[in-house]
Order: sequence, then C-alpha cells, then structure tokens
Amino acid sequence: MKNYDKILKDLTPRKFNKLGIIWTSLLIVVIIAGLIAYIDQLIKGQVVTNMRDYALWGIYISNFVFFVATSFVGTVIVAFLRLTHKGWRTPLVRIAEIISLACIIMAGITIMIDMARPDRLLNLFIHARLQSPITWDVIIIPTYIVLSFLLLYFPLLPDLAILKKYYKETKPKLSKWYGTFALNWTGSKVQKAIQTKSIKTIAYLIIPVGFILQTVDAWLFSTTYRVGWSSTNMGAYFISGAFVAGVGALITVVYVIRRTYKLEDYITYLHFDKMGRLLVLACLIYLYFNINEYLIPAFLADKEEESHLRLLFFGKYAPLFWFVIIGGLIVPIIVLTFKKGRKPLPMFIMALLVVLGSWWKRYLIVTPTLLHPFLPIQGVPESWRQYFPSLHEWLITGATLAMALLIITMLFRYLPIIPIQRTADENELLKTDKNTES
Amino acid sequence: MENNNNSSRRKFLDKGLKLGLVTAIGGLGLSKIVSQLNAKPDSNSHDKMELMTTDGTLIQVDSTEVHAMDHSQEHDKKYNVREGIPNRKFVMVVDLAKCKNALSCQSACNKHHYITGDNAWVKVYKMQESKDTAPYWMPTTCQHCDQPACVTVCPVDATFKRRDGLVLIDNTRCIGCRFCMAACPYSTRVFNWSEPDQGEITLTMDMEQHQHEASSPEHAGVPSVKGTVDKCDFCPHAIDNGELPHCVTACPNGVFYFGDKYEDTVTNGDETLRLGKLLEDKAGYRLMESLGTEPSIYYLPPTDRLVDFEDGIENYNEFQSVEKPE
Amino acid sequence: MNSRLLLFVIISAFIFNIGSPDLYAQKAKKNKARLNVQYVKIMDGEIYFDIKASARIKKKTVKISGIEINIFNELEDERIDLGKTVTDMDGESRFVLKSLNEIKPDSSNTYNIVVSFKGNESFKKAKKSISFKDAIIEAKIITKDSVNYISAILTDTETKNPIVDESLTVQVQRLFKPLRIGEEFNNTDEDGTIMVPVEEGIPGIDGNLTFEVVLNESDDFGTVKAMVTGSIGVPIVDESTFDQRTMWSPRNKTPVFLLIFPNLLIIGIWGFIVYLILNLFKLSKS
Repeated sequence: MKNYDKILKDLTPRKFNKLGIIWTSLLIVVIIAGLIAYIDQLIKGQVVTNMRDYALWGIYISNFVFFVATSFVGTVIVAFLRLTHKGWRTPLVRIAEIISLACIIMAGITIMIDMARPDRLLNLFIHARLQSPITWDVIIIPTYIVLSFLLLYFPLLPDLAILKKYYKETKPKLSKWYGTFALNWTGSKVQKAIQTKSIKTIAYLIIPVGFILQTVDAWLFSTTYRVGWSSTNMGAYFISGAFVAGVGALITVVYVIRRTYKLEDYITYLHFDKMGRLLVLACLIYLYFNINEYLIPAFLADKEEESHLRLLFFGKYAPLFWFVIIGGLIVPIIVLTFKKGRKPLPMFIMALLVVLGSWWKRYLIVTPTLLHPFLPIQGVPESWRQYFPSLHEWLITGATLAMALLIITMLFRYLPIIPIQRTADENELLKTDKNTES
Repeated sequence: MENNNNSSRRKFLDKGLKLGLVTAIGGLGLSKIVSQLNAKPDSNSHDKMELMTTDGTLIQVDSTEVHAMDHSQEHDKKYNVREGIPNRKFVMVVDLAKCKNALSCQSACNKHHYITGDNAWVKVYKMQESKDTAPYWMPTTCQHCDQPACVTVCPVDATFKRRDGLVLIDNTRCIGCRFCMAACPYSTRVFNWSEPDQGEITLTMDMEQHQHEASSPEHAGVPSVKGTVDKCDFCPHAIDNGELPHCVTACPNGVFYFGDKYEDTVTNGDETLRLGKLLEDKAGYRLMESLGTEPSIYYLPPTDRLVDFEDGIENYNEFQSVEKPE
Repeated sequence: MNSRLLLFVIISAFIFNIGSPDLYAQKAKKNKARLNVQYVKIMDGEIYFDIKASARIKKKTVKISGIEINIFNELEDERIDLGKTVTDMDGESRFVLKSLNEIKPDSSNTYNIVVSFKGNESFKKAKKSISFKDAIIEAKIITKDSVNYISAILTDTETKNPIVDESLTVQVQRLFKPLRIGEEFNNTDEDGTIMVPVEEGIPGIDGNLTFEVVLNESDDFGTVKAMVTGSIGVPIVDESTFDQRTMWSPRNKTPVFLLIFPNLLIIGIWGFIVYLILNLFKLSKS
C-alpha cells in the first residue's frame, strides 16, 4: 500500500535528464534526415527508391503493415484484458494506449509516403470506390486513430486534473495546459459516471474495430491473385501477427520506461511474468498460423507456390526467413516458457527479438511475392529482378520509426506513465472496498 | 656553264614544286567548294525534312524529330471517353504459330506512345512451360479483361472498364498507389517512377495535339505523367480513325488480329476472318483462364509453326524492351 | 621544256584532285520518284483517283510526302488540266471528281488520265498514265429457298453490254477491313451476273449488313464498287457489364451489399464516436 504523496511523486512527469535530451535529439536528427530524403523523393519521384515495376511495393508498405500490427496492442491490453477483468494490467494500460496511438498515426503517415502522387490525396475521398480494399483502409484507419485517442483521453482526465493542481505553484503555465485538457474534471459522481460509461463503450467498440483494421490490412494482399498473398488464412494470420507484434513492442517499451523512470515499485516481476505468458500465447497462435501458411503449400508443391517457398526456405531469403521464424518466434516461446525467462532482462531481449522478427516478417510477406509474378520477368534491366531498399527508403523508414518513438517519448514526458488516480484508487481498494474504475 | 644549268634546274624544280603544291591545295579547295554547293540536305545525319503542317504550310523540321503517324484531327466525340464506342467489343487474336520475335510490334508501340521508361507495353515473352514442351514466343499486351482485377482494386476510379471492352487509365486522377499493378496477374502495367523523359518529342506531340485536350485516356502516354501508371490502351486513337492498333499493323508476320467481337470479325491487315470460326479451327484459348479475369485476347497455339522458334533468338534481349537513344 | 613540265604538273595535280573520292561522294544524284494511280468509282457515290508517290532509296521504299501532283485528262489533240493535289504524310493523295462528266473520253470511249510530278531538288520528275472505260455494277439481295444471295450485274456503260468473265469480290462491311463472302474469284457469266450465297449468322448492328460488290483494279475498268444494305444479319446484343453493378464498376454502380454493410458499419461506429465526443462536452460542462 502506498502513500498518496509517494504515488504522486513517483508518477508525475519529470523533466528530461541528460539521457532524455540526447535520446530526443537523436530522434529529431533521424527525422530531419528522413524529411530531407522525402523532399528529394517528392522532387525526383519514387525513382529514388529501389522499387521498380516488379518489386512495386517495398519497405514503405511492409513498414506500414508493421505499424498497423503494432497498434493492435491498445485493443489487446486495454480493451481485451479489461473485459476479462485482469487487474494487473493497470500500470501498463497507458503505455499500451500511447504506443497504439503513436503507431496508428504513423501508419497513416507512412502509407501517404508510399503514394507517388500525394498531391492528389483528396481523390481518395472525393472519388473513392467502395469496391477497393484501399478505400476500406482509408475508412478504418482514421476510425481507429480517433478511437485510440479516446481510449487514451477518457482515463487521462482525472490525472490531468491532478497534474493541474500539482504544478499550480511550480509551473503555472504548464498547470494551465493541464487544466484546459482536464475538461473541468472534479471527480464528481456525474463525471465519473459519464467517464465509466464512455470507457466501457470504447472498450467494446475498439475490439471489433481493431479486428477489422487488421483484417482490412490483410485483405490488401489477399485480394490479389499472387502466390503467397492469395491465401484464405490472411485475415486471421494478420490478427495473430498483430497480437505478437503489439505485445512484443509493449514489453520492450515497458522495460525501457521502467528503468528510465524507476518504476520498479509499480511494474513488478509479476507484470513481466504475466506479459511473458501473454507473449508466449501470442507466439504460439502465430506459429500455428505460420505452419498453416507455409507448410501446407509446401506439401502440395503446386508449381508457383513451390518456387516461391523454395526461395524462402532454402534460397535467397532463407537466412532472413529462418531468423524470423526461429529468432522471432520459436526462441522467445522456449525462453519465455520458463519462469526464469520471464524476468525483466531476458523478457526485454526476447521482446526485442520478437519486434525485429515482426518487422522483417512483413518484409518477407511483401517483397518475395512481388518478385515472383506469373509471367517471367523479361525485357527489363537485370537490377529489377531483386530488391533491397535504397538509402532514401532507409532514411525515410527510419524517420517514421523515429517519429513514432518521438511521439511516445513526448507523451511520456508530459503524461503520467502510470495512471495516478487509478493507482491511488486501487491502493484504497483494500481499505475501502470501493469499486472505482477509471 | 654547268653552274648555270644547275642553278636553272634547281630554280625550275623549286618553282615547279611550289606551283605543284599550290595547285594541289587549290584543287582540293576547289573540290571542297564544289561539294558544298552540290551537297544534298538528306545525305548526312542532321538533315532536315520538309513537312506540311495541318494548316497547309510547309516547314523544315529536323528529321530526327519527326515520326510518321496518322492521327485523327476531328475530336467531336460522339461518345463519352469513360463509356466508349457503342455497339463494339474489341478483341485481339495472337497467332503464336507465326511469331518469330521480330519485335516490330514493340518498336511501333514504343514509338507511337513515346515510351521512354525501361519497360515496354508490348512484351514478347520467351515461354517454355516445362523442359519437354516446345518453346514459343508469346507477345502480350494488356488483356483488357472483362472482369479486370486492376479496375476492381483502384481506390479512385482512375482506371476504368468501358462498354467497348477497353480498360483505360486517367493519368490526371491516378494517385500512384500501384495496387492495380499488384493485382494484375499478367504483369502488364508499368509505372512512371520519375519524370518521363519525353522532352525532345513534345514538338511532335504539340503538332498533333493542338486539337485534343491535354491528355486523354484514349491516347496513353501522350504525355506520360510522373507517379502514375501506364499500359497498353488498344489504341483507341487509331480505332477512331478506322485504323488498326499500331502493333497489329507493324507486325511483318501477321501475328496480331484485331476486331470487334460483336461483328465476329478480326483482321490483321491482310486477312479478314470470322472470329468464331478462327477460334474453333485453331483451338484458341486465353491466358490464365482459370483466374476468371475473362481477358479479351485469344491465343492460337503454336502448332504447324510457320516460322522456327530459333529464328527469334537473335532478337531476344532478356534485359531490354525499350530502345534508348544513344 | 620548263613550261611544258609545269603544265604537266598543273594538269596532273588537277586531275588528281578531281579523282579524289571526296568529290564523288558529295555529288548527290536525284532519286527517281515513282507514281502509282488507281481509279475508283463508287456506285451512286464518289469517283476519285488514289495517287501514291514513292521512291526506292538505298533498297528501301520511301514514301514521298508534300509534293505537288498535277492531273491531266489526255485527249487526242489536247491535254486538259484537271487540277493538282499534294501528297500527305504517307505519300498518298486522293483526287476527287464530282462526276465522270468532268473528264472527256477519247474516240474509243476510253478515258485517259496522266498524273505527273514536276520534280524537285530531291527527286526527278515522274509521270504515270492510266486508261479506263466506264462500267457500272448493280447489286441487290435476293432470298431464294430461305437462303440469301447477293446478285450483281456488271455492265459496260458505253456499249450497254454485260461484261463477261470478270472477277468480282463480294464482301460485307466491317469496322476495319471488309469480310469476304463467297469465293475469292466470282466470275461473271455470259449475262455479266454473279450470284453469291451469304452465309448464315453474320452479326450486324440491328441486324443490318452492308455488302460491297467490287471489281478490283481491273485493267479495263479500274475499280468499281457497288453497295447494298439489307437486314439479313443477326442483331448485335450488348453483352458488356457496363450498366451493371459489379466489383469493377465505377463508384456510381457499386454493388448493393457494399453500399449497405460498410456504410452501416461506418455509421454505427461513428455514431458511437460522436456519442463519446458529446460525452466529453457533457463531462466538461458538469
């Protein structure tokens, strides 16, 4: 049981220390580099990438898919666990909400980077065709952005009120900002009722929307005839992949934040244990889908599938493929099955592997299929038969990842990482037995 | 006396040599002058051609800039460009028994659509299904499918299917997402990754365009737009003129037949045949029929070949389909 | 002796220069132009001469565009200037006569036409002459025993006699090139007639078919073409999916289920979102 003042002292946002400033500056440098590369891309055209008529989608798209997948963590941790009444999630929910919001915003930005004519963006709304999977994406992503934001905002209100009071003397201007966003939160019965009902609504709503988001993303691929994409598995495959990527990203961020902000009292070994089990579950489900996705076509060995799979299992993409499956899935499953493996540091390493594996998995979904069309690749320069991202693509992709991290960092800078009011309430729970939800 | 003779001989030799030299130089000079006067304008590379513009004036144009073409100047369209020519359904028949990879189709198409990228719109594939079955040359263009995957996935209606069967692209609307390229199983669409290098030929395009709108889906590639998709358009600009598409007329071996399915007639410029009978007699088929795209191009299998497959090997370039100026 | 030697040197030097390959290469010859002219008469229609100008340069046939061609009507004692025309980008030109009365035949009722090109700095002058008599074709569609036939008579206008044993081509008009009906050679019988059966099932717009009976490039009569239209074809049915609601239609023809379900979902979800945002306002007011 913790003293309210202690909670306040531990959880209110602090200024950046030196590490924080270096980190933020680094992110900004990467973003600026990416921005310059993007402007160059706008001027010269997408010829600055290494995409050509056969490898027509590259890491912009696989990065986009990664962001969409990672944004699923909000749905999983906050909504899903809430509806199953898992109490331990409290210190993790805000982190999850913030990661979710940052990733889905960056997904929206990343997909615009892949458009060769961003000046015609409005056409997507004015001339939209409902028959096209891209239109479904254009509808669902803004919807999820709004829902993610609301999922972050509603529970934030009490904390904003607390911060307004906390900084009234020391930082009056900041205090005023907190006040504006706190929407006159007083903790009254009426307000609490509205808040509770709203959060419940969001939780129920964001689950189907999250599922639809992942499914529509999958359908961008499975609505084509291509080998490796034309799979009936795709929707469920992507949902489970998002589960893995989301939880992996969460663990990674939680570990770093815990150490940086010294939140060992709040995020304990218990939390790591629980998250570890969740990650194992996610990886097992995903592994199951991978087996279906890769082993069964190999069994059939129909000509198109066979040469595509050969490339993945033994050919050019084999090292990457096996890293993703073994390093990104099997090793984490094994390590995290043991209690010792669910300690923070091994968890962090495994989660990092999972996230890396996730990112490269999406590269393996996008590129090899495109280099495997039905008709032979002839009549084009030899360099068009392979694809590896160009410097521009790396810079721009790096900038999007840096921007996501920057959003997360800045939100952690100004918002309480762990919900203050809720933590306080839960500590009162044992004393007063009042069922306060926030 | 001797000395006198010697000196006069020397003087003579001296004078003679000098005079000879002068004559030689003068003669060469004269010949050069004569050749300049007689020089024919069309006997070296930077010659000029006399052309008549559409309003009847004769102009001198650098012959490297002029490409022979015939385009209709009348553009009071009797139909909507997105709807197409009424009562027609265009189909093409490709006789694989006659194709020997002459690539005239490819060069004619590249020329008439000002293709400056690295990927031609007509590609003649070197096909061999398995090592025991016969190799053959297979010219492919956009199949103008009746159930086009590309049109289905376009988010902004930039590519569209017309009543007369053609699938065209509106380059002013395309947002460059390339989903249509991902969806096409025939890999027939190309993308303008950079500003298309059509600069030198804008003169010719201007000459024939002063009566068209700036760019029409009916004449793809005129001009090509950076960041958008292009593909074979079945040349509606030629059809409007009562002419066959350029690949059909260019083929020296009569490989391409083109016509209206409703009229049940196709022609390659020399032979005009009933489509139904042709397909029945020669067992016509379509590419990747099982995908259900319902393409508009029928292929006649390469039986009773009129030309040997090997005759086409020398023309085969695995890594190039568009000739670039040196 | 000095001057003679000198003269010899001068002359030899000059000859040497004249013999230089330089000079010969640059003395260009004018190419020979070739003219081709066809006389075409459409029954109850236009009468024209199709003129083509070409040249053989370096073993390739090159079309000559933009040159002026003069057309003359040659009679025994005079040559009437009929006019001039200029070849287009393809080296071709069509010279139209308003009627055959514009030109005069000679005493044997043969029309003699000469087309000529004066020549320019690139090409030598050229001319071509053709002679022809006037012939007419009358064509009609006959149905006998429920079989359709194209029947045509070829007559010499001057003598009013039928023209025997000339080969006529019968074809149906199509979009690009006409489709041949019957045999390649349909020779006129002693009455100057042919009767060619029309095969079943030729499609036409509204069932209408336009047939052409053509005397193609005959030596005596040029090209004569008669056209006849009948509703003996199979009407064309528009099978396109353009008017239907399909997955590949433009947005104004979206399939119904796509209009209903996604929109229901969107309205449902955003309805809740609006409710949530309203809650925010309610919360801040209270």
